[in-house]
Amino acid sequence: MSLIEIKNVSFSYNETKKAVNDVSFDVEQGSYVTVIGHNGSGKSTLAKLIAGLLPVKEGKILIDGKEVNEENISSMRTRLGIVFQNPDNQFIGSTVRDDIAFGLENKLVKSEDMDAIIDEYAKKVGLEAFLNYEPQNLSGGQKQRVAIAGILAMKPDIIIFDEATSMLDPKGKKEIKKLMYDLASGDDITIISITHDIEEVLQSDDCVVLNKGKLFMHDKPEEVFRNPEKLRQIELDVPFIEKVREAFAKHKIKLNADDLKGMVDELCRSSSKH
Amino acid sequence: MPIKFKALSYIYNKDMPYAHKALDHIDLDIREGAITAVIGETGSGKSTLVEHLNALLLPSEGSLEVLDYEIKAGEKQKFLKPLRKDVGLVFQFSEYQLFEETVIKDVAFGPLNFGYAPQEALQRAADALKMVGIKEDHFEVSPLELSGGQKRRVAIAGIIACDPKIIVLDEPTAGLDPKGSKEIIDLFISLNKTQGKTLIIVSHDNEMVYNYCDDTVVLSKGKLVYHGPTDELFADKEKLKEFNMLEPQIVSFRNELIERGFTLSRQARTLEQIAQEIAKQVKR
Repeated sequence: MSLIEIKNVSFSYNETKKAVNDVSFDVEQGSYVTVIGHNGSGKSTLAKLIAGLLPVKEGKILIDGKEVNEENISSMRTRLGIVFQNPDNQFIGSTVRDDIAFGLENKLVKSEDMDAIIDEYAKKVGLEAFLNYEPQNLSGGQKQRVAIAGILAMKPDIIIFDEATSMLDPKGKKEIKKLMYDLASGDDITIISITHDIEEVLQSDDCVVLNKGKLFMHDKPEEVFRNPEKLRQIELDVPFIEKVREAFAKHKIKLNADDLKGMVDELCRSSSKH
Repeated sequence: MPIKFKALSYIYNKDMPYAHKALDHIDLDIREGAITAVIGETGSGKSTLVEHLNALLLPSEGSLEVLDYEIKAGEKQKFLKPLRKDVGLVFQFSEYQLFEETVIKDVAFGPLNFGYAPQEALQRAADALKMVGIKEDHFEVSPLELSGGQKRRVAIAGIIACDPKIIVLDEPTAGLDPKGSKEIIDLFISLNKTQGKTLIIVSHDNEMVYNYCDDTVVLSKGKLVYHGPTDELFADKEKLKEFNMLEPQIVSFRNELIERGFTLSRQARTLEQIAQEIAKQVKR
């Protein structure tokens, strides 16, 4: 049995158009799944359905074999955290410590136990030296790490990242992607990441491609990118190496290598100067 | 008409215990008619710098000349309205600021505010919307019904409709899908090349900066650490390392080709241009 089973789920905000249209796929425990698709493809709606922030009216979502419904949604929610796009929109506490404590307070954790838990998870995300900092003095990547620590302290099985790196600078992006990778591979946390970052997709276990609300592909990232024309058709980005292949193909130069160095070798072999 | 920062510093919460110097003695001359990128890590002062250009922030020390206006620390400013008409600022995630009932009303808000007659404001709004590629059948819909890329183009149209001479864009492509990003990039290139607008773009997307921006300003901890041609910056491995910047893949690829004996002109900075020049040097 898979940890999350999504079965024929549809959702519409209005009567004319289905934002999510008959989508089915499974997510294995401890796997790192990326969801890609252009703006308006239904990615964020799907994330909200899985997180229970929107009600599932058509189809079913099962977590651990149990259907998520209105009665059990609040208990299911404790197993699941979301990190949102904008690091500035998810701060509640006036210091990093207070912010991580917020979820614990809601969970009625005793105050004498709290500090140890906070220290543990601050350390996990590499912010142990920042516990007394005010959020506005942190970088974007650090703010997202605080959000992740707050979620980890609740001991979830599943964390959904809704474009969590898109507002960060390149360094912040790298930090968060590494942390996501470590959580999935080392801590058995299941990660569902909605993203536009092709390089992130390459580090995930599985990739779900949505187009106009429908499931377009669900496969290993290598397989998804094996067919760049198909991704181009639905206006998605492709890895840099595929862009190089395409740019040269327009000049009738066929490159076969799987890496840039190999491509440069191929070009050298056919160069008139060499 | 210059854009000139003279020993400009900006201190948040001045004279308070939390005082923080966000910009430290900036001397900078930005070229008119060019596309200039402003880059640097989060917290390096990029947004603080560009928010001085239309006096949303006033210098704590030093001064700034923009077009015919001079803004000096500690002086009361009398020309905010004309300055803000001439310098349009498109904020990060500008689509969050759409607020009117219809797209056309939202875009006409700026020109109305700057004193254009209602009829002319609507005409300017319609022209600006056409320029950003929003078709007439979308004019009367609520901006909230549009896609992310469309919303952002509507927000940019709101600035274009005021006919500024300088347009500042803070992270214009962040959070957009590849198609949405491409639309925005094509738009700002045409604003610069066909309309001669001076563009100043704050970005974390080094590949985009390398491909399309003429000059680059690098800030680090509130200080100016580089200002010059974009290609010279990215060709300098030492500098990239010093500024903690990752080399964009396109730059690595270009360097590798040159090292292996291919010739590439200075202009060849996009994959399309590189492929075109290399194609002439290989047998098919």
